[in-house]
Amino acid sequence: MYLALREIRRSRGRFALGVGAVGLLVFLILFQQTLLTNLLGFFTGGLANQSGDVVVYAADARRTLAGSVVPAETVDAVAAVPGVARAGPLHEATFTVRPAGGRDLLDGVLFGYRLGGPGHPTTLREGRLPRRDGEGVASAVDADAGFGLGEVVTVEPAPGAEPVRIRIVGLGDDLRFSVQPTVFVSTATFAAARRATNPAAAGAPVLPSAVVVETAAAADPAVVARRVTARVAGVEALTRDEAVASAPGVAATRQSFGVILGLAFVVVGLVVGFFLVILTVQKAGALALLRAVGAPAGLLVRSLLTQAFVLAAAGAGIGVVLLTAAAARSSPAFPISVDGPAVAATCAVLVALALAASAVSVRRVLRIDPLQAALGPSVGGLA
Amino acid sequence: MASLELIDVRKTYGSGHTEVVALDHATLTVGDDEIVALVGPSGSGKTTLLSIAGGLLSPTSGQVRVGGEDITRYTNRQRTRFRRRRVGFVFQQVNLVPFLTARENLLVMPRIAGRRDRAVLERADRLLAELGLTEQAHQLPATLSGGERQRVAIGRALMNEPALILVDEPTSALDTRLGEQVMQLIVDEVTSRHTAAVIVTHDPRMARFAHRRVEIVDGHLHAPAPA
Repeated sequence: MYLALREIRRSRGRFALGVGAVGLLVFLILFQQTLLTNLLGFFTGGLANQSGDVVVYAADARRTLAGSVVPAETVDAVAAVPGVARAGPLHEATFTVRPAGGRDLLDGVLFGYRLGGPGHPTTLREGRLPRRDGEGVASAVDADAGFGLGEVVTVEPAPGAEPVRIRIVGLGDDLRFSVQPTVFVSTATFAAARRATNPAAAGAPVLPSAVVVETAAAADPAVVARRVTARVAGVEALTRDEAVASAPGVAATRQSFGVILGLAFVVVGLVVGFFLVILTVQKAGALALLRAVGAPAGLLVRSLLTQAFVLAAAGAGIGVVLLTAAAARSSPAFPISVDGPAVAATCAVLVALALAASAVSVRRVLRIDPLQAALGPSVGGLA
Repeated sequence: MASLELIDVRKTYGSGHTEVVALDHATLTVGDDEIVALVGPSGSGKTTLLSIAGGLLSPTSGQVRVGGEDITRYTNRQRTRFRRRRVGFVFQQVNLVPFLTARENLLVMPRIAGRRDRAVLERADRLLAELGLTEQAHQLPATLSGGERQRVAIGRALMNEPALILVDEPTSALDTRLGEQVMQLIVDEVTSRHTAAVIVTHDPRMARFAHRRVEIVDGHLHAPAPA
């Protein structure tokens, strides 16, 4: 510590540059992680934040709500499986909707569930859950886009059909689905919207996309899902997390961001590693002198690791400060949040990476020959 | 007891017909309180002898004792510990840690030995005062003059109260007047502490400051000549 901290104090400019570079990279990583979380939330929030622990798809639906239609009697068949506390239908479809205030038409997703049953949104921020048909809970990020509390959203009907009006009575966090404004409504409201947009099928029953299951308190959702798949014909049941991970685009998005984030982590390691190597080479004479007068190699290695830690920890601190500032200035349409545990875990990984990246410098320090102090060029200012 | 005993020490580099003999059957004894000037031309083996005496190098054969301690077969770890406790070095071209102040360059010695008590702070301040460096105590080496840097290096060599001080060409980067001042300072500091010293120099004028003069040519030590 004695040597490490004094060197940092006497080389403030150099270390400030190093810390600044690491800080910007850490901010980039944290921001990208937030971006990934937001994007995945926009893709799958509606599915991830509904109350069902298990989602039951048609077996041939390839694990997508858009491709799944289950017969109405499947709901009762699923409800009879041991470990299922409640089962209910879940409808999902994209409609053309007109937000409140006469705004332009846009695509919006409706989730239909049996009021009082499973499938209701679990992240209510304002207002209440729907109590009757014609009411809905919308994704809070769209509140300023005509989906605000008390506003009325209209499902644009086919020519000649009556429009379906939905009054927003609640706003929930992370409820978007397929990156579109999303409203949770009753099954009857969903069916009305379906018929309004497709009057030709007015007499046909509106079948659910899936069945959502709330498991019994002691039951493991994974076990219940396997049991449902085994006992109910023509379905594939997934836990909520599996269903979210299987949603279209999620795996590809994770993979793309994974590559970008991986590269960013590698760059942090390289920046710290190169910085320490340059530092070690530049002070090779001083290190040889210290070894010559009896400094153990371990002491010099500890000094180096202390500097690597300070560099990474201070850089992480700057990254967190920048992320916090960005979060404070983010818009409701694209919120940036500081997820404490995730940020702490990322920073811990980065510090560990920085310590690992100092391996080359540590090797150089361990190989310093103290005899160089007697034979080598001068250090300390004299040529 | 002698502070330094080199008994039939030989140091070679390489082997076979590429073997170079840096030190050839050198025998030297330096008594307590004695200051020996080791004089010889460049490449004569002065620095090799100094490095072996200070535990920076192991001899190929022969025996090395410092303050009665036989260091001939010491491991690297043992030699590191020996250098920390028993020897003070002043290297040829003033060697200071560039990011430590003059005072910290002295304090680094007890620090690496794990000492951080008040006594070492007082000793460092006392040494700086004796060397006339009180006002420069908080300056970095880059802001000190050549003579001041040499004095800081002398202070560092004395900091841990060593049994033997080894000084390699202390005046090579200084003019004659400053060189003589530094030599006198070394002699005064070493003598007042009853410590032995070996001072390597190729300048015969500087050798007269020592109690005894030993010449080295092509790795051979010659019989002591009058200083």
